[in-house]
Amino acid sequence: MSKIQRFWYSGMLSTEDWWAVWLGLAFFSLGLLTLLGIDLVGWIAYPSKWVFNMPEGAISKKIVTIDKAFYALGGKYSLTARDTYQSLGPIGSILVTYIIFTIATVTGAYFQKWDVKRYFIGWTFIFFLTYLVWFIGHHAFFAASAVDLKRSHFPAMFTLSLGGGASFILALMAGLIIGNFFKPLARYLSEAAKPEWFIKTAIVFLGVKVGYLPIKAAATSEKIGHALADLTLDLFIAGAAATIVAYLIFWPGVYTISRLIFKLPRKTAAVLASAISICGVSAAVATGGAVRARPVVSIMVSSLVVVYAVIELVILPGVFTHIWPGIKDPMVAGAAMGMAVKTDGADAAAGELLDEFMRAKMDETSNGTVIWPEGIITVSAVMTKIWIDMFIGLWAFLLAMIWVYKIERQEGEKVPFSEVWFRFPKFVLGYFIAWFVYLGIFFGPGHGGSAEGMSVLKAAEAGAVPVEKGMRKLFFMLTFMSLGIITDFKKLAEAQFSKMIWVYFIALFFFIIPVASIIAYLFHHGMTLPNMATPGSALLGG
Amino acid sequence: MTQENNTDFGSLNTEDLDTSSVLEGAEEWSPIETKLVVGSFIAAGIALIIGLIIVPTSILH
Amino acid sequence: MFKRNKTKTLDMTLTHDGKNWIASNKTIKLAASSLGELDRKIENALRDEFVDNKRLNVFMAFDNEAIPMWIRPYMNHYFNRILVLPIQR
Repeated sequence: MSKIQRFWYSGMLSTEDWWAVWLGLAFFSLGLLTLLGIDLVGWIAYPSKWVFNMPEGAISKKIVTIDKAFYALGGKYSLTARDTYQSLGPIGSILVTYIIFTIATVTGAYFQKWDVKRYFIGWTFIFFLTYLVWFIGHHAFFAASAVDLKRSHFPAMFTLSLGGGASFILALMAGLIIGNFFKPLARYLSEAAKPEWFIKTAIVFLGVKVGYLPIKAAATSEKIGHALADLTLDLFIAGAAATIVAYLIFWPGVYTISRLIFKLPRKTAAVLASAISICGVSAAVATGGAVRARPVVSIMVSSLVVVYAVIELVILPGVFTHIWPGIKDPMVAGAAMGMAVKTDGADAAAGELLDEFMRAKMDETSNGTVIWPEGIITVSAVMTKIWIDMFIGLWAFLLAMIWVYKIERQEGEKVPFSEVWFRFPKFVLGYFIAWFVYLGIFFGPGHGGSAEGMSVLKAAEAGAVPVEKGMRKLFFMLTFMSLGIITDFKKLAEAQFSKMIWVYFIALFFFIIPVASIIAYLFHHGMTLPNMATPGSALLGG
Repeated sequence: MTQENNTDFGSLNTEDLDTSSVLEGAEEWSPIETKLVVGSFIAAGIALIIGLIIVPTSILH
Repeated sequence: MFKRNKTKTLDMTLTHDGKNWIASNKTIKLAASSLGELDRKIENALRDEFVDNKRLNVFMAFDNEAIPMWIRPYMNHYFNRILVLPIQR
């Protein structure tokens, strides 16, 4: 059966991109039902920082004992079914989470015509390994900061202070170990290790987060709620401008480096330029098609992209947190990440890691007097990436016209405009719908966070938190794990890539990352994050 | 291996692909490429100026 | 974006086997190492379809099955192209 994109609705039931929209919007819609008093999302199992035994005098606040390492988020946030969700307990909530997401993702796998049995077995393995890693990564040694220890009246002790970042790093490491040392297992799991699907779904959930941020902040003060709504819209505008400028500098820069310094053929240079400078594999495929390259060009370049993307994911969050720009400019760091790290999965994962690192560092540096809202730095990294993804269709269309009509003229050929839609990333539709619906709730029935809208906002929060916090983090964890499983560093040693590896290395580290940082600084330097560290900083004490 | 149980490759198996010409045989740099590259940089400059003026969080504000 | 023009359109599927571009539909299947050569073969094969100065659009939709499965989630579309016959030289 052929897979062609011929009509505007082509692929709606058969592509991961559309299935990220369906999954994301399905759970987003279930979350909205809390506005009607029906809570169908509170079962999601979420981790707490834990220790085996509480030290004497310590209180179960930021850190809990092992038996409470997971809880159903609805047990804390639900307005109508709190007791039900509390009664699930840690194991019960994990099992319910497994059953529901198994049904949802296996349905997706079936419609995408994957090997359903293999997907199911692979998914089950990845799911439980992910939860195991999530559990280990939340041990106080990895995750707790000095401030967490103080808040829970713990005695001073050494911890890595990585926050939720520890779990992400461990998930990536576990995945990489499988991907590089247990290759037959990795090949088997690859049917279910789908970082692009998981991250696109997570990005739709992130849309809920962006819309929910002002709602959460409004509990601290109406003013902060408005400030966060403004900040997300500022990110939207600055992200668009920065991305356009970045595109137009990155692409010709890398193309020239590839052609003049490394003497690559035109089509290879064009595909490589898009991959390194724009959005990795998707750009490599889109550009390969645009310049009518034989598919082998895009396939070779894509194999390199996924490996370099993971290298970026490992290096950049730490560099941006501890070297430059640090906690002085978290939005600059996030935006630069979005422009520099290739593939949606690696970028969003790097943004999430940056979010954890930055908040943990700020908490530590300010001794708990400054607390940034969770997730906004991730949003800054994803916002530029989403613009990049949306522009690739337009860029590939323009490039196709320049190529077919000018550079390598093909008599009789026309470039159909429908190409723009076929290359449009559909998951962003889910992201924007989720964002704007919650923003609409905030400014509409929520009265912009004033006292009269508070009951609606509380009801919205009960449905939003399990999605934007629990499900989003779970899908980020699944992304880290899957990215590791499908990444084989040995690829870099394959002779066929030869000088392409060096073009990539030089262009990325000496051109793309510095220029991305400068452009991000020019457009995002004016952004500041509100401080949430005031009494009663959450609607429900969370 | 069949298509269904092989997630590594589509109908194009990399072993079937002729990879030699991907890196070799660079064409001469042509004037149209200069136009493309310079045009893109100029467009970037214009977009940068307009962007810095329009975007409220830019360093110009 | 999706409006139909008056010129007759013939649909074909395009793919690549590693060496050749291949265009096919239910009745014909043509292969060539370059798209230009493929276009000329298509023009010859379909000559009866655009007699009397009538134009014929051949819409070639690329079959994404040719792209390795692990790459498809990143981008579901390689490219589609329209060949306007007869080719104006």
